[in-house]
Amino acid sequence: MALYSRPRTTRLLVVSLVMLSLLTITVDYRGGRAGPLETMGEGALSVVGALQGAVSRVSRPIGNFFTGLAHVGSLRAENDRLKAQLREAHVKAAESTTKDRRLRELQQLLKMKEQLSLRRTVTATVIGVSVSNFEWTVNLDKGSADRIKVDMPVISGDGLVGHVVNVAPHVSVVQLIIDPDSAVAGRLSSSGETGLVIGQRNHPLTMDLVNPNANVAANEQVVTAGYQGGLYPPEIPIGFVSHIYTRPGSLTKTIELTPAGDFSALEVVLVVVRS
Amino acid sequence: MRRVVLWSVVVLTALVLQSTLFAQISLGGTKPELVYLVTIVLAFLEGPSSGAVAGFAGGMVEDFLLNLPKGITALTLTLVGYAVGSIRQFVVSPSPLLPVVVVGTATTTGILFNQIVAFLLGQLHVGAGEVVRVALLTGMYNAVLTPILFPVIRRVAEASRAKKVFRW
Repeated sequence: MALYSRPRTTRLLVVSLVMLSLLTITVDYRGGRAGPLETMGEGALSVVGALQGAVSRVSRPIGNFFTGLAHVGSLRAENDRLKAQLREAHVKAAESTTKDRRLRELQQLLKMKEQLSLRRTVTATVIGVSVSNFEWTVNLDKGSADRIKVDMPVISGDGLVGHVVNVAPHVSVVQLIIDPDSAVAGRLSSSGETGLVIGQRNHPLTMDLVNPNANVAANEQVVTAGYQGGLYPPEIPIGFVSHIYTRPGSLTKTIELTPAGDFSALEVVLVVVRS
Repeated sequence: MRRVVLWSVVVLTALVLQSTLFAQISLGGTKPELVYLVTIVLAFLEGPSSGAVAGFAGGMVEDFLLNLPKGITALTLTLVGYAVGSIRQFVVSPSPLLPVVVVGTATTTGILFNQIVAFLLGQLHVGAGEVVRVALLTGMYNAVLTPILFPVIRRVAEASRAKKVFRW
């Protein structure tokens, strides 16, 4: 009898867990953005976000330290004191290049902010990326405590980054414009024709629904259209035209765009609180 | 209690590493799925019920960090944990390669299942070819990481087991 009871309790356990998962899926699918699940999600995001922040703060100086050590290796003949001094100098140099880069990024951000005449923005640092291989999002170190809300646009010194999709008090999640689920209303800067810019993961962005008679030049800049009541303010750079074609059977033109910014090296961004 | 705390620490570490360190060390643009790896190794060592519970809990935490309907990863990992734990009871092989093969296969199968559920809910935004490519690469990446992480997870599993008390 005892031999039978064990597999049976295991099976019962698994069946109840599966039912619980299915129930969660259903509740979340139908409920949308409200209810107890969102509160729990906020909690999970806060905990993981805090840890991500700590890890990225620790891992950057360690990386710099090792870069410093690598340079010192070639000077083995020098005496210990000089070596130590040199190591210190290299670490400092690595640190200052990091600082220089950050400074340049911040200057660029400031320029972008002035150019777009955005009224209120929050500067935030990228602390991590999505845990999934099927989502292109980044986590920022600022959240609802800094007045960041869902749907606020996010820009970098190069151009549009994406929009906020989830916030906790001190963390927020930004969906990048390269996410296949992202769609932005774009406008060709010289012809003024509009279209829908859709993310294609690591491939160039595509701009769909463009007037087939539009005159599109190679390398032409595409900026946000900024419709009344839309998510994004106008004139934020999205990318540059790299390829133009008409899909067979389609009545509109499709344009491939090279994104204006590098999404794998994002570090400092601006969240537009009010434009 | 000790068990719950230890395993929570392991799952949280897996999630944080996956989204910070391993985002920079990617294989063909994919990150490893460390929560899958932890669930599979635990099921492999401790059997189907522990595997299912760990998979459910780890999956639920991961779900709360994603932009999909919550519960999909929990469902996947409950089944993965149960399946690996059950099949394990019928495999008697002393080969040290066994965990590597099990982790690789189970990760790929799990991700494919996960994406099929996402597709059924209308939440899949990439093509089928891309899903298969990512599933295979992630399976490979997890398999490569297994020889390094398996001993670590085994130590935690041993530490979390209730101590047997003999009285006479």
